[in-house]
Amino acid sequence: MDARRHPEGMNPAEQSGAQERIAQAKAGDAEAWGELYRQYAPAIFRFCRRAMPTREDAEDATMDIFIKVRQKLSQYDASRPFGAWLYTVAANHCWDLLRRRKLRQDLETGEIENMPLEHPDPGALEQLIEQHSNQEVRRALDKLPARSRMALVLRYFADMSYDDIAQTLGVRRTFVGVVLLRARHQLRDLLQGSGPRNLAEEGPR
Amino acid sequence: MNHFDEMACMLYLEGQLDPARAQELVAHTGECAACRTLLNALESESHLLSAALTEENESMPARLLGARGWSMPAWVWTLAFGVFAAGAYWLWTDGISPWLDQLSNAGFGGTDLVSMILFSGAFWEGWGDMADLIQIAALIVVVVGGLLLIRRRLRRVSAIAVVVAALLIALALPQPAGAADVRRGRSVYVPANETIHNDLIVAGPSVRIDGTVEGDLIVFTRDVTVTGHVTGDVIAFSAQALIDGRVDGNVRVFTQNTTLEGSVGKNVSAITNSFDLTPKGSVDGGLIALAGSADLDGKIQRDLLGIIGRTDLDGLIGGQVWIRGGTLAVASTAQVAGPAEFHGREQPVVATGAKLASPIQVEITQEVRRSRRSNAALVIHEIFSYGAALLAGILLVTVFPGYYRATLRETRAIGLPIGVGALALLTGAFLIILGILLLFVGVGAGIAGVLGYAPILYVAQVFVGAWLGIKILGEDSNNTNTAIGRIALGLLILHVAGLIPVLGGLTWLAVLLWGTGAVLLGFYRMSRVEIAALPA
Repeated sequence: MDARRHPEGMNPAEQSGAQERIAQAKAGDAEAWGELYRQYAPAIFRFCRRAMPTREDAEDATMDIFIKVRQKLSQYDASRPFGAWLYTVAANHCWDLLRRRKLRQDLETGEIENMPLEHPDPGALEQLIEQHSNQEVRRALDKLPARSRMALVLRYFADMSYDDIAQTLGVRRTFVGVVLLRARHQLRDLLQGSGPRNLAEEGPR
Repeated sequence: MNHFDEMACMLYLEGQLDPARAQELVAHTGECAACRTLLNALESESHLLSAALTEENESMPARLLGARGWSMPAWVWTLAFGVFAAGAYWLWTDGISPWLDQLSNAGFGGTDLVSMILFSGAFWEGWGDMADLIQIAALIVVVVGGLLLIRRRLRRVSAIAVVVAALLIALALPQPAGAADVRRGRSVYVPANETIHNDLIVAGPSVRIDGTVEGDLIVFTRDVTVTGHVTGDVIAFSAQALIDGRVDGNVRVFTQNTTLEGSVGKNVSAITNSFDLTPKGSVDGGLIALAGSADLDGKIQRDLLGIIGRTDLDGLIGGQVWIRGGTLAVASTAQVAGPAEFHGREQPVVATGAKLASPIQVEITQEVRRSRRSNAALVIHEIFSYGAALLAGILLVTVFPGYYRATLRETRAIGLPIGVGALALLTGAFLIILGILLLFVGVGAGIAGVLGYAPILYVAQVFVGAWLGIKILGEDSNNTNTAIGRIALGLLILHVAGLIPVLGGLTWLAVLLWGTGAVLLGFYRMSRVEIAALPA
């Protein structure tokens, strides 16, 4: 099921070439840094575009992330894929920004955990998915609460592990599945046009 | 067997289910159509999500792609500066200058000192309208600042607006400035029989003009000699300047030694070490001099205004005399038609035969006494200036956080920014003096330069303050409030230190150099993020 991932600049084949450039960039080679930027900036921008509410936010975040990355480059552990590390930095940056804006909404996790999710009708779900285009899904994603959207982006765009997602969002590892499933439910509600349930409790994004 | 719930199905698809339970699920879905459908639907949903998220539906914004988009602030400033210079030039040539001519015709251009300073003083042309110029410059600064603030929405519109404004002003310029004759070479010589029907701009080790220039003569050289005829102004930037011919316009020199043997139709302004007006020399207008020493043997038809170390007056002054300096000696051959005033360390020596319209009014200044403000006033002033600086810091952090961080990083290098700051301040001061002196660039441009500089000098302290605050309180946690707290503390220390007599001055000098360098490096690095990131 995994033919989907690796937004450009993130596939393993390019990793080896990247490692060399990273080493050069670490040593202060502006040219190498430029290549890294060129290679990864589009993916990071798109990541930010999905994670942040507006295009301007995404542009600013991309800039800031690369400034941060350049500073932190010495901390990068070469045994990890560079793309994944980049996404962690990006995710933390974006999540920090979002959290700062709506500090309260994402802090209480307890009640959501206890809220039961209705079991879907498999046939209806299948139909719902067939009926909607990528664009409609994106539009619905934009309306999700920040954490739900972020969780989906981390998982289905950045291909992050549950551990990394848990760390980024500051939730328990076992809770990641709940956040993801819950986000899917909210998304389905939006796609159905009925509006997501429980959005009121979570507040606007 | 029980159905699996949605969570289990999703976790299975995500590879998060433990193997035993996964096996159970596989076995169950083999038999249960409902669960199989759910599993398939969830998988499709995963695919839909991935596809929707990873689909490239938008292009990269220009400002992330390369220097072109991102360099906007820099070129906006450059353009705004250019527009301002052009605007000031236009204002002068089309507005103020003709008006002054009319005033002059109406008899206001007389020889009295005030009107010389305000109107006919070539050096000070336009200063009377400084308020307007400053207002225009301030307006431009505000407009550009505003554009930068709303640049997100107006990125294109603002660019177009600035370009259109520049074009309009360019069209409004009566004479294009590109018509001058420009010469460069080891030594430039215009022989007696040659006539240049144009402005002449020359650069070279030595320049000699024996011929005729029908326009302005602008020279950058070591030695310049003019024995011919210049119908416009002579503007010289050189070590030695000898003017032996005829100049119908003004003479403006920034030289080591200036010798004037010929005739000048209008005014002379000079910043020079020694100024020598020989008995043959004559100036139909006035003389404004900032000089180490001046020998005035020739004729000056209007006023003499000078800050001159040593003045020997042997010739004629048709108007008033006002001199501030060390010594003044008036020879028996001297004539002064108007009142004379001298502020200096020594009583002037006046020979008996000298023809003075009235005795020289003398004010002896023993020592240059610094007027000390009272301590209370000083503290209040410092409090105000602290508040203003803090406000600037808060604005920076909240409005341009990215730039603030970039510049703060530069501040930490200490040595490099101090070097850059010193260099920038020196060249900047030099350029401003040059700009003001050479009126073809214009007083306006000089002031625009100062205005462009002022905000940089002002925010310089913010970064040094922030650096100091961080040294004391530790790193700020990348959030606005803690950053402002550190700026507030650092600035407080700087401003308190500024109250200490000698140390305070040194502190401010260091802050100025260091902060200015950091601010400039910050600008540079901000543009380099992308330039370095995207080599063309």
